[in-house]
Amino acid sequence: MTAKKTVLFDKHTALAAKAQIVPFAGWLMPLWYKSISEEHRAVRTTAGLFDCTHMAFLKIAGKDAMSFLNILITNDVSKLKPGKAIYGYILNTAGDIIDDVIVYCMDHDNFMMVANASNEQKVKDWIETVRTQKDLVTEKEFEIFDLKNSTLSDARVDLALQGPASAQCLQNIFGVDVRGMKSLSFITAKKNDLDVIITSTGYTGAKVSYELFIHPNKAPQLWDTILEAGKPLGIIPCGLGCRDSLRIEAGLPLYGHELAGDFNISPFQAGYGWAVKLQKENFIGKSAIEKEIDFDTEIARLKFEGGKGVRPIRQLDGILNEEGICIGHVLSCAAAGDKQIALALIKKEYNSAGKTVGIYYAARNAGHVQQGRKEKVNIGEKLAPDIKGQVVERFEKF
Amino acid sequence: MVPENLLYTKDHEWTQIQGDVAIIGIDDYAQHSLGEITFIELPAVKKKLNVHDTIAAVESSKAASDVYSPFAGEIIEVNEELSSRPELINQDCYKSGWICKIKISNPDTRHLMNSAQYEEYLKTI
Repeated sequence: MTAKKTVLFDKHTALAAKAQIVPFAGWLMPLWYKSISEEHRAVRTTAGLFDCTHMAFLKIAGKDAMSFLNILITNDVSKLKPGKAIYGYILNTAGDIIDDVIVYCMDHDNFMMVANASNEQKVKDWIETVRTQKDLVTEKEFEIFDLKNSTLSDARVDLALQGPASAQCLQNIFGVDVRGMKSLSFITAKKNDLDVIITSTGYTGAKVSYELFIHPNKAPQLWDTILEAGKPLGIIPCGLGCRDSLRIEAGLPLYGHELAGDFNISPFQAGYGWAVKLQKENFIGKSAIEKEIDFDTEIARLKFEGGKGVRPIRQLDGILNEEGICIGHVLSCAAAGDKQIALALIKKEYNSAGKTVGIYYAARNAGHVQQGRKEKVNIGEKLAPDIKGQVVERFEKF
Repeated sequence: MVPENLLYTKDHEWTQIQGDVAIIGIDDYAQHSLGEITFIELPAVKKKLNVHDTIAAVESSKAASDVYSPFAGEIIEVNEELSSRPELINQDCYKSGWICKIKISNPDTRHLMNSAQYEEYLKTI
């Protein structure tokens, strides 16, 4: 399948080298424009602008939209007021995660759901399955629209503006003060023909972070407007590379890595049990997921030396306790300044800030295997650590 | 950026032959694809090689790439400076970012591309 171009593709080719524009979840996306570390630093010190127009945006509207979403999603959609959003999971009947999503309440009978690009088709297929099976949901007076469809007047895609300077930038453009906005809330704003929904959400761990939802036809104009207004504030365009390193540094999970994936990680292991409302009367997957909410392993955030000359930690490297016994595996890792931050699935009893842990580098190539390095490490094996670091707090805000 | 005086592999190594010694590095396309290089694993001097044996591993924060030997032979020198300054490969991949020197046992270069052939090859990927 040929990768699709986002509405901002021409912006990317003008700003990034060809080799840095790569297929991601079916879309041609920039990995970086200048460099991952420079863009990472910009989000922590000024702000960065991200193309998130490739994500899945669905409108669910109608009399039964709320009750349908409340069955579809683990969090309590019934408590949602217009102007507020909620984070939750779509589970299958076996309790496995289909995706993690944010649901925005536009009105009491009109909701927008944002899902991962990589799961878009799976989510759409599941919604169809749910609404056509009588036993899963009974109230069916609602319609679903793909908001990327630019022929819709209320079509929406998303640009993310993340980092301390983003509030000033939005004030300069739209004349609105967004500083006091509560997390997971949103407002509308307008400048000339740019009609936007500004949400206080993000995926970078920045305390000051916004996403802007706009009609796809207007997204290139908004992109240019933000970069122009943001120039004196040090705001730069940012690619997927730093989107990943920022979310890892902050401890935020990525579907397929820290949620679901090869280890079939549950929201409870990821630190998001609060988004699964077991006290709710019903949601799909409830009876399966409530059977097991205690796990031996959970996600930990770990910090190691990094920078020049230190071999980068990779997915599936082994985590060792102080005795050299393997207690888990790396799920994601990224450079943050001169440190490396890893998210790992480890035995629960070791997940407390300050504990020393080691890393065993799994073999990277045939040469390593010849030298006796293991390609795969198992829990309980005794190994010699290659580098040592510490467990840090599960999440961090910047 | 494809210097004319070098030979190239499909895996984006470059080599320059001086007598029976070949200098090896990775080219501009490879360093661009990797991004900021933060680590290199260099080969041991005196290591014996067959064609396409792994001679080094170059890693950035997002990617890792093995470097393969374009020749059979023996490693006679490695660029130790890269251990502490792997970014030299990003800054100057054809000169100060060289990786190692190999004493080659067979000077045949028919399996390598000249700069014109390599530029054509780059257009196809």
